[in-house]
Amino acid sequence: MTEHTKWERVSGNEEEAERIYRKSRSFLGDVWFRFRHKPTALCGFILVLILLVFCLAGPFFTPYTYSEQNNKMASIPPLLTVYPGPEEGSYLYITQGMKLIEVDNEGNLVRQLKKKKDDNAQKRTSFVWDDDTLVYLDYSRLPNTVLDKEGNRIEVSQKKWNHTYLLGTDQLGRDILTRLMYGTRISLMVAFIAALVNMVIGIAYGGISGYLGGRTDTIMMRIVDIISTIPLTLYVILIKMCLDDGLLSIIIALSSVYWVDMARVVRGEMLSLKNQEFVLAARTIGSSTKTILLNHLIPNAMGPILVTVTMLIPSAIFMEAFMSFIGIGIAPPMASLGTMCNDATETLRTNPYQLFLPALVICVIMFAFNFVGDGLRDALDPKLKK
Amino acid sequence: MNRQPPVLQVEGLTKHFPVSGHKVVHAVDDVSFSVSRGKTLGLVGESGCGKSSCARTIIRIYEPTAGRILLDGEEISTLNQKQLLPYRKKMQMIFQDPYASLNARMTVHDIIAEPLRAHRVCSSRQEENEMVSDMLARVGLNKEHANRYAHEFSGGQRQRVGIARALILKPELVICDEPISALDVSIQAQVVNMLRHFQEELALTYLFIAHDLSMVRYVSDDVGVMYLGQLVEKCEADEIYRHPLHPYTVGLLSSIPVPNPRMAKAREKSGLEGDLPSPIDPPAGCRFHTRCPYATEQCRQEMPQLKEASSGHFVACHRIFNR
Repeated sequence: MTEHTKWERVSGNEEEAERIYRKSRSFLGDVWFRFRHKPTALCGFILVLILLVFCLAGPFFTPYTYSEQNNKMASIPPLLTVYPGPEEGSYLYITQGMKLIEVDNEGNLVRQLKKKKDDNAQKRTSFVWDDDTLVYLDYSRLPNTVLDKEGNRIEVSQKKWNHTYLLGTDQLGRDILTRLMYGTRISLMVAFIAALVNMVIGIAYGGISGYLGGRTDTIMMRIVDIISTIPLTLYVILIKMCLDDGLLSIIIALSSVYWVDMARVVRGEMLSLKNQEFVLAARTIGSSTKTILLNHLIPNAMGPILVTVTMLIPSAIFMEAFMSFIGIGIAPPMASLGTMCNDATETLRTNPYQLFLPALVICVIMFAFNFVGDGLRDALDPKLKK
Repeated sequence: MNRQPPVLQVEGLTKHFPVSGHKVVHAVDDVSFSVSRGKTLGLVGESGCGKSSCARTIIRIYEPTAGRILLDGEEISTLNQKQLLPYRKKMQMIFQDPYASLNARMTVHDIIAEPLRAHRVCSSRQEENEMVSDMLARVGLNKEHANRYAHEFSGGQRQRVGIARALILKPELVICDEPISALDVSIQAQVVNMLRHFQEELALTYLFIAHDLSMVRYVSDDVGVMYLGQLVEKCEADEIYRHPLHPYTVGLLSSIPVPNPRMAKAREKSGLEGDLPSPIDPPAGCRFHTRCPYATEQCRQEMPQLKEASSGHFVACHRIFNR
């Protein structure tokens, strides 16, 4: 009796035991599973998504365009130092050009006051507030300040967030936030297209070289060696100089050069894969070369290819920013992160935010893509399977 | 009855691989044999003796350096890959490593259907599905397995998928390149029995490559022993186990473990010593003379030819014919 309770015959037949209950997970599903369990990778991926929304949907929500200039509102920082104005709830902001701008309680820039007279002796400038009120800007000693009704310097300033231009304006009075959106858009577009073109060229070149092997491989790889002995930056600049300014030429310049790394990666993969038994099996079956390449070799080489592409995107972004920075990239007034940095270097001491904001965005993009690439590499490595 | 040409006939097959420094690896050297319909030829030899190279040359993954390969009496060694396509349907291969021989990015269905697609056998998707599920059932897998990936299966199940892929075109000749050596013993028996069952059912001809001599005895009608790229002995399976002639065969057979320790002790100790010489620079004369206990001056200088020692028993050894 006791035996019976302890040991009971399991019901069910053999077929039942052979059955697989676990849901089948495809290769991509498997990769996604491992990818989203890595915090840095997921973080990078979310950042990329946010950046995409920022640069694609953002421009629809901003009242400004990337090229609209407003000289009255040039170089206004995101955080304003304001002094109380003559009326309750009104504030005055002193621009770098010694002008006064009325700011309301929420931080909206209302108007620029009209200058009436510059009194050099007393080192003060009068501005028209309304028909019978004047306000004075005192520049007798630093910091410059506004005088109250009794003519005393108001030493107490307040900080207010700029509500009209959330991230301030550049030296031509263009909204930096809007320009960042367009700049990110350009940078990502250049990077994605360049990466895609590089991927296609690299896979085709490396695939042919690796699959055919022998002398073809030797010749094709020596060509790659020659191309890569000269710094790629130099090529890009030379190609760029020969072409017109503009987005297309920058994409051509980037994508005609950066495929060499991809070609090397793909070739290496092909060399190791083409002698694997499943490829030999496909050959004994009689599958065409096209089938072997597209169904067997490239899908199995996809891991390193994807990693190389995601690592290529940040370098393309950086290259575009660099070219725009040295002045051979995107033509003004089109915004690019590089041109924005370049424009800001002149006024770096007075308006550091104009440089730091685009630089920060470049950093975020690079971080995001590097994290994604890193995560992909781990996720695509079947040896790390859990 | 014997008018029919053998399914596979190999004459003087040679495969040399060039290596750096203008040297060649003599992987397969002047190998000749034939397999008649419905029979199994077992090819044995230690690692590196050229068994797999021989198989891969026959199935034309490697280009033969010299020699003729006749499939159903038709010469296929000189055809290019395009002309070869209709013949590929007649010969298929089962690979050694069930892990490496299945593409990890394809479902079992796609793997098994690949030969059908390559040869445009099926006119519709439905026909393809039917053929694949029929084949799956015949190798002992169920229909639900078709949409799974190879990595979800055990070694034995994977090898079944490999067999299904090889047999779906109903070939005449199947080259089994050590199909069981990567499996554990209990699965080996299952797979071998399945292969035998298919041989009866589909009248298949096997070229069965292995280094497990007892398994070869079980499956083969004839056995060929290879050493350093050459065929050194060839005869019926039972004959080779009862009367091995070539000293290398004797050495190989004595390496089979015997379950009874008393018998093992009583058995003559004639295990092979030394390593396989380099196939880049094979020894002159008889290639086995460096390890042969009976080697003479003649063996060092003159290469023995494969000759009939008794009815149907061929051997390449001076010692046998000088007696």
